[in-house]
Amino acid sequence: MPRNDPTDTGGLFIGRRPGTAPLRYKEDPARGGEGRRRTDATLAAAVLVLEALVCLTLWGPQPVAWLWVGSQVDYHADSITLALAVTFLGMVATLMITLGIATRLDRVWRILRRAAGHEQREGVLPRIFAVTAIVALVLFSLWFVLIEGPAPSLAPR
Amino acid sequence: MRRFLGYYRQFEELSPQEVSRALRARRDEEKAQALAETPALNLASPAWHEPPHAEIVNAATFALRRAVNTYPDAGAEALAAALADRHGVERAQVVPGHGAGELLRATLQALLAGSGSGGDVAIAWPGWGPLPRLVHEAGGRPVPVPLGRDGAADVDALAAAAGPATRAVALCSPNDPTGGTIGADALRRLAGALPPSAWILLDAALADFEEPGADLAGLTRELERLLVFRSFSKAHAMAGFRAGYAIGPGGAGELLARLAPTLGISAPAQAGMTWAAANGERYLPRRREHAATERDHLAAVLTGTDFAFPRGTGPLLWLSSAALSGKELAAGLATKRIFVAPGAAWGDDHHVRITLRGPAATDRLAAALKDLRPSS
Repeated sequence: MPRNDPTDTGGLFIGRRPGTAPLRYKEDPARGGEGRRRTDATLAAAVLVLEALVCLTLWGPQPVAWLWVGSQVDYHADSITLALAVTFLGMVATLMITLGIATRLDRVWRILRRAAGHEQREGVLPRIFAVTAIVALVLFSLWFVLIEGPAPSLAPR
Repeated sequence: MRRFLGYYRQFEELSPQEVSRALRARRDEEKAQALAETPALNLASPAWHEPPHAEIVNAATFALRRAVNTYPDAGAEALAAALADRHGVERAQVVPGHGAGELLRATLQALLAGSGSGGDVAIAWPGWGPLPRLVHEAGGRPVPVPLGRDGAADVDALAAAAGPATRAVALCSPNDPTGGTIGADALRRLAGALPPSAWILLDAALADFEEPGADLAGLTRELERLLVFRSFSKAHAMAGFRAGYAIGPGGAGELLARLAPTLGISAPAQAGMTWAAANGERYLPRRREHAATERDHLAAVLTGTDFAFPRGTGPLLWLSSAALSGKELAAGLATKRIFVAPGAAWGDDHHVRITLRGPAATDRLAAALKDLRPSS
């Protein structure tokens, strides 16, 4: 059913709903054969996994890495303020870079999906971002509550 | 590699900006065309070019929001009382109706159909356009009588044209289309010269453009066979209401009763007219001045050209040119998207009727008229 069908809009003709415009290409694409489309579908799935991994780094590896960098700054410069500033700014900077990379991967994924024969209007990055955040939060909670426990393991007993 | 990448680039969608680029180009082209296009200027309709006073619309709207499921006041008592008060006549002398034209039609039907073999109606001509047709429809014979040199009805010529078969003499003051006016003395002279059976039908639809002191309706107290027809369509800007009224002598109750609309006037029209009758002097002076100013302005601008129109009152001009026929004038102005009424509608091929509007319209008309000269 078209997404601007009046039965889907409370019976009202409200014009085209946002995001439902048909895809427009400069000219009709010359699509490859069945084999190529299967390959493109596989590549799209691989890019999707890569995109998810890139997003996951935002919720664990990157903060941990920047905390380590901050600790080094604190050790060498003996300044907690500088360490905090470097950690915070570094995290923001790599967040931007990561999102830039993820956006490009998302565009590649969209193109591969279209090449595989799907009418892929939008990317999947927002959903991946949200899902990876939830996954990271669940994993962190499991580690924090069940594995590590509320008390720090390095603290004096 | 380039070929490999090219295969995938063909799946890149156009951005919304790229998609709408062609639409924006078309819109820009249409906008530019609309700005370059000269808007049409309709100077053919005699209706006032501005909306009515806001309180008139308020009064009509208020009436609409009341019980319009019921019939309106068939006698329009409040309206008639306001009109009688305005003209200083008795309530019984006033008949509100659906415009001066409708009341004139009803009058002609009453006067001519009732006489059996019809009769003649002397008409000061050119006058109100539909009048000869209405005389025909009522079974009478219209007898056109030329206007005087000043563009007003020639009462002596009208009196001379009236014979034993004449049932009525119809004249217009201020005259449509010339703007010429007659005074109370001329009307008295006409009444005195007519056969006793002839009525004077004075179409005073444009009388609100005259000063209140020039109102001839009060003569109905004095002249026993004078009927005055007034309209709210012109100076009151209420043409869409189809509203007007007739004033007759006190002794003509039977005739006046036959002029009234069978089931009355609509409630919104009554409300609007009642407010206008009681409060018209709030805005009429400005419109009188407006019409006079535009008339004088155009006369001044056309001084030294071969265009001419009679001095007169109101927004209607009866314009002629020494070099161009009325048809050529109308056609020439139409090429500049200015539309006027060709005199052919009055059987006159030397004039056009022009309705003045605001200063910008007058300036555009004057410029167009001056442009017509060299090219003709």
